[in-house]
Amino acid sequence: MINTQRKKAGKKMKINRVILSLVFLVLGFMIAFSYQLTKKQQSDTSMTDHEWERTIQLRNDLIDLEEKNRQLQKELNEKQAKIIAIENEMAENEKNLSKTAKEAEKLRMILGKVKVQGEGVIVTLNDGNYNHEEGNVNNFIVHEHHVLKTVNELYISGAEAIAINGKRLKNNSYIVCDGPVITVDGEQFPAPFIISAIGDKDTLEKALTIQGGVKDQLVSDNIVFKLEKLDRIVMDPTLGNRAD
Amino acid sequence: MWLPVLGLVIGITLGLLTDMSVPHEYQNYLSIAVLAALDTLIGGIRAQLQNLFNEKIFVSGFFFNIILAASLAFLGVHLGVDLYLAAVFAFGVRLFQNIAVIRRILLTKWDQKRKNEKES
Repeated sequence: MINTQRKKAGKKMKINRVILSLVFLVLGFMIAFSYQLTKKQQSDTSMTDHEWERTIQLRNDLIDLEEKNRQLQKELNEKQAKIIAIENEMAENEKNLSKTAKEAEKLRMILGKVKVQGEGVIVTLNDGNYNHEEGNVNNFIVHEHHVLKTVNELYISGAEAIAINGKRLKNNSYIVCDGPVITVDGEQFPAPFIISAIGDKDTLEKALTIQGGVKDQLVSDNIVFKLEKLDRIVMDPTLGNRAD
Repeated sequence: MWLPVLGLVIGITLGLLTDMSVPHEYQNYLSIAVLAALDTLIGGIRAQLQNLFNEKIFVSGFFFNIILAASLAFLGVHLGVDLYLAAVFAFGVRLFQNIAVIRRILLTKWDQKRKNEKES
């Protein structure tokens, strides 16, 4: 009887122990967990006065830096605007320069300083066949004024460059009669005279061959007039400044 | 005697290893629950020393107090009244009373023991 009671008591004791350990487990868990949480929170938020001061100081520094940044940014924007203005000006200058260069090129072409090429016409003037029975020999040769007339007519019709026997004419060229030959810018040329002109070939042709025009006048002066239309004529530049 | 200690150790280890994070507003509840658990434990020890210990009361009180304290704090938060203070106050007072009783009992026991030794 006593034995069984003891056994019962022992069993009860064991159950007690188990329950008690369960309670302790829960308690330990809760205490440890709470402790851990509190510690974490403290490490997150707790700040000493010194830290506060430091934080405030750093924050002020940050604000100052931001202010400075903004100012610099503003300055940068201004400078950039200035640069853009300068660049625009430069582009304008560049444009002017290229325009000027083009003009210079054109002027050089007119002056005969550079090699030029293009479509045009070639007029050949040759002396007529001299017949003793028909009077003065002077009536059968090409005179300087014939050449001059042709050249003028060509210029009027829009020729851009003209050369006589390969000699480029310039703005200050001269053509003079020198007996049986013609002097162009100091160089003497005998007949036949090959006048090449660069320009619109159809226009030039029509200008010369118009009825009562240069061709008719020359032919009536017993001159052999020949006209060729070419798609490409090349003219060398004038050499040196001899005639300038 | 080693089984409850083992439970305590396992519990503390588990608690330290758990990397769960409770939202800030719920941490009050946990503290209250811990307080309630401590109160019940001390109460249990006192009862044991006074030979009044009843395991059913102890276990039910342990869990019930925890839940009640937590729900009280919860209610307080939602009503806008700091009701958890009531729980803290009640548990704190009881905790000190129980500890005082335990101390007195232990002192009397010790005194008696010394008297017995002297007499013998």
